[in-house]
Amino acid sequence: MYVESFPQFSEWFLPGLMLFLAVLLSGAALGLFFGYLVAAFRHGPFEAFYVVAQVAAEAVPDFLKTSPRRVVAMARLAIKEAMRRRVVLVTFAIFALMVLFGSWFMGGGSDKPEQIYVNFVLWGTQMLVLLMGLLLSAFSLPDDIKNKTIYTVVTKPVRSTEIVLGRMLGFATVGTLLLILMGLISYFFVWRSLDHSHELLGDSQTIAAFTAVDTETQRSTVTGKRVSQNALYEGATTVDNDHSHRLEIISDVREADSPALESDDIIRTIKREDGKIEYQRVMCLPVGNHTHAVTVTGQGDDAQITLGNSVGYFRARVPIYSSELTFYNREGVASNKGTNVGKESKRRGYIDGGSANNRSTLSRATFRFKDVRESRFPDLDFVPIDLTLGVYRSYKGDIEKRVIAGLQFESIPDKPDVENKFISEIIEFETNEFAVQTLPVPKKIVGRIVAPDGSLVEEGAYDLFDDFAGGNGKLMVILSCRDINQYIGVGRSDAYLRGNDQAYWWNFLKGYIGIWCQLMIMIALGVALSTFLGSPLVMLSAVAVMFVGFNSRFIRKLAGVDDQGNLINEQGGGPLESFVRVVTQQNTMVELDTGFFDTIIEKLDYLLVSMLQMLTYLAPNFGQLNFSNYLVHGYAVDNNQLLMAIAITIAFIFGLTLLGYFCLKTREIAK
Amino acid sequence: MATDTPAPSPSSPSSESTQPSGRLEQSNPDYDPNIVIEAQNLTKVYRDFWGRQKVRALNALDLEVRKGEIFGLLGPNGSGKSTTIKLLLGLLFPTGGRAVVLGKNATDVAKNERIGYLPEESYLYKFLNAEETLDFYGRLFDIPAKIRKERVQELIQLVGLEKAKRRQLREYSKGMTRRIGLAQALINDPELILLDEPTSGLDPLGTRDMKDMILKLRDQGKTIVMCSHLLADVEDVCDRIAILFQGDLKEMGRVDSLLKVSGETQITAENLPDSAHEEIRQVIAKHGGQNIVVDNPRTTLEDLFLNIVRESEERPGMRPVTSTDGDADSGTPTSEESN
Repeated sequence: MYVESFPQFSEWFLPGLMLFLAVLLSGAALGLFFGYLVAAFRHGPFEAFYVVAQVAAEAVPDFLKTSPRRVVAMARLAIKEAMRRRVVLVTFAIFALMVLFGSWFMGGGSDKPEQIYVNFVLWGTQMLVLLMGLLLSAFSLPDDIKNKTIYTVVTKPVRSTEIVLGRMLGFATVGTLLLILMGLISYFFVWRSLDHSHELLGDSQTIAAFTAVDTETQRSTVTGKRVSQNALYEGATTVDNDHSHRLEIISDVREADSPALESDDIIRTIKREDGKIEYQRVMCLPVGNHTHAVTVTGQGDDAQITLGNSVGYFRARVPIYSSELTFYNREGVASNKGTNVGKESKRRGYIDGGSANNRSTLSRATFRFKDVRESRFPDLDFVPIDLTLGVYRSYKGDIEKRVIAGLQFESIPDKPDVENKFISEIIEFETNEFAVQTLPVPKKIVGRIVAPDGSLVEEGAYDLFDDFAGGNGKLMVILSCRDINQYIGVGRSDAYLRGNDQAYWWNFLKGYIGIWCQLMIMIALGVALSTFLGSPLVMLSAVAVMFVGFNSRFIRKLAGVDDQGNLINEQGGGPLESFVRVVTQQNTMVELDTGFFDTIIEKLDYLLVSMLQMLTYLAPNFGQLNFSNYLVHGYAVDNNQLLMAIAITIAFIFGLTLLGYFCLKTREIAK
Repeated sequence: MATDTPAPSPSSPSSESTQPSGRLEQSNPDYDPNIVIEAQNLTKVYRDFWGRQKVRALNALDLEVRKGEIFGLLGPNGSGKSTTIKLLLGLLFPTGGRAVVLGKNATDVAKNERIGYLPEESYLYKFLNAEETLDFYGRLFDIPAKIRKERVQELIQLVGLEKAKRRQLREYSKGMTRRIGLAQALINDPELILLDEPTSGLDPLGTRDMKDMILKLRDQGKTIVMCSHLLADVEDVCDRIAILFQGDLKEMGRVDSLLKVSGETQITAENLPDSAHEEIRQVIAKHGGQNIVVDNPRTTLEDLFLNIVRESEERPGMRPVTSTDGDADSGTPTSEESN
């Protein structure tokens, strides 16, 4: 999943406010114009001025004199209406049924069950609360007007603002309480469904449950499949939650003078003849994004091996992306795109590992990072780097043998002509092209210091933060392919440094805040539309707005107009020109040949796409308020994004309140 | 009903009756607190979507309602009564003219602080019970919570819904709904009360209670405007009436003045023996009276009904029915017969 980077809220707010005010003023001007037309139709052109002026003039005192007490009274009525109509109860009952029986149909052997469960609860909650909000708001006022119960309200000293705001507040309260309840249940449901453990498959929970691997070929003697480097034994767990894990006992050899390794997963410690210490450690291989911590009680053949609860499901990763990605071909020439391997991926560029004739290749991808500070990372002795790499094989070879890639680190001095540069050794690793793989890069890396002229100054182990990124916080990460005739694909979003993970519960809450924002807008929209439309039309209009909102990015792309007012899609022109071309059978590569009408068509097309573009700004961008993907894929929702969502919600509620007020105020209730 | 004041002759002008008034005098720009409602040239034309005139519901209505009176709007269905009420309340916007209520434009929300409105069908929220209904409407006014709570209980007692106050309105009968509707109209102790068909759908007992309530409110100094097509009810309670027909004002004035039949004299007396009837005929004939009828007066069917109901409540059980088939003039059964 590609996580966009967002501007700071403080940078976004002012331009956003300007845009909001511009849209508001345009809407107000348009409203006044149409209001004048209607009034002129009814009262004549001169009287219409007074009518419109009176409505506009009364708006200010109406808003200023809006009574919070009456708004709350109307809200209480709306809450009672929502509860006694049982809409809320039915919504909750459907949700409860989904949660109670949904797990029967989920999982099914998927290696990423957390995505399925989280997606299920988020999608279910979102659809149900949005539908409930729409039903409540779409039927309330129109029913009041149809049944004439509103007569007894508007003949009290109640302003139109109070009716509109009261309805919105009441339904918002009901929706918020229901959302909180559904959120708590969802969280509990996901946690309970995913939390599991395994036992060793075998007669005992000791090393006897393992079988030795063929250390020469690094393959399993049972399945013939490849095992990890340094694996000595392999085993398996029981099947729980529709999956099992492979277990391996690997050999971790350390120097004699290195500090003693303390870990719960060590089953044997052997002092070798060469003086090195070999730690035999039990590893639980991940399935999807999770694994289990291994605890070994005792040592040797009788040591009891137990697996803990799942680890890795409930994550809220904070990716720190590079500010720049540059590709270099095998000659070392820089480009933005990388080697062309055909239509493999639009997003990724590819780097090659050289050929048999030319093993040395300068092909690489360089990522430039800013503000790399130790405080942004977990307090561990390594820095996690997440990679999602693609692989293009020019020959099949051993399909089970993973392509080897290399990572190297360099400092980026501000004055490269005078300052020394740190360059690390190349750390090789096996790519895992179908999943996000986390590489633990030690904080202390072996490398060298190089002078501006390229001469070696010093070699040794250097600190990633103090030395490589020390001073200016800049760091370059270089990815290369270490297998000849193979290619590794990567995009800017495919490699990031993993900062401190956010608390999962806080991230989960942010996801629900996104749903809450959508619900608030839906309620405001329903109430505003219901001031002048009947219930079925309100439903239809709200669904249409929702459709535009969820697809606004696509529609904006469709209605792409550059700053000079030219259509971005130059071939074929806009909708009207395209229609003319179809009818007159003119292909898109030639200029339109309709003579005098060319200009008219061009201008009309510009008007049409501008209106289409304006429409996307009028409709709320529900996609921007939907954080489900973040939760599903385990990424933290950026706080700036959350603040933007809340600001957008407030802006829409404000605008819709104005719309509802004017429509209700100018409406003859008894007609 | 006899009256001591001579009826004005048809030829003598009356400032308040007979001819429909033309345009009223220009309103004094200073608000006159004695004029509670003032309509000047009030017109309402309903148009279709394309702006074409469909119905002229009200045509240049001029009227005034004074403080402390019960004003009746009469007319057949479609005459513009409800339209007038709705224009005065701001539920509709006038096509022409203006309406001023309690010194404020009819569309001004602030005037609603001092008015109460009982709609034709008591349009209330069915999912609320009586207490919640009155509490909700009470909250829409600037009434302190303690006083509001007390007022809610008082009104429930007043309209006799103490036993049903916790039931949702969807379970109420028509009469009960009208009563709670009246209660909500009085929640803010209004100065002006507008009642749209207040006795519609009520049984005779309910109708009597409603009329008594209206009279009581008038005695408290409130102004009531009611519209109805039930003439007997209007005659019983209203001080002044206006008669509308097809959107036009046809008549307006005091009830007693309008109903007075000049040219005829009615005399009632108690304890007059039958033997005096002939002597009275002769005296009247001597003075030139014509078409003399000397007979027992008739009570109203409403009074008869209410008396029987009252007696039945006091003395439950079978009540002897007095047969009056053969005697068209016997009227009310004698006390001997009823015992």
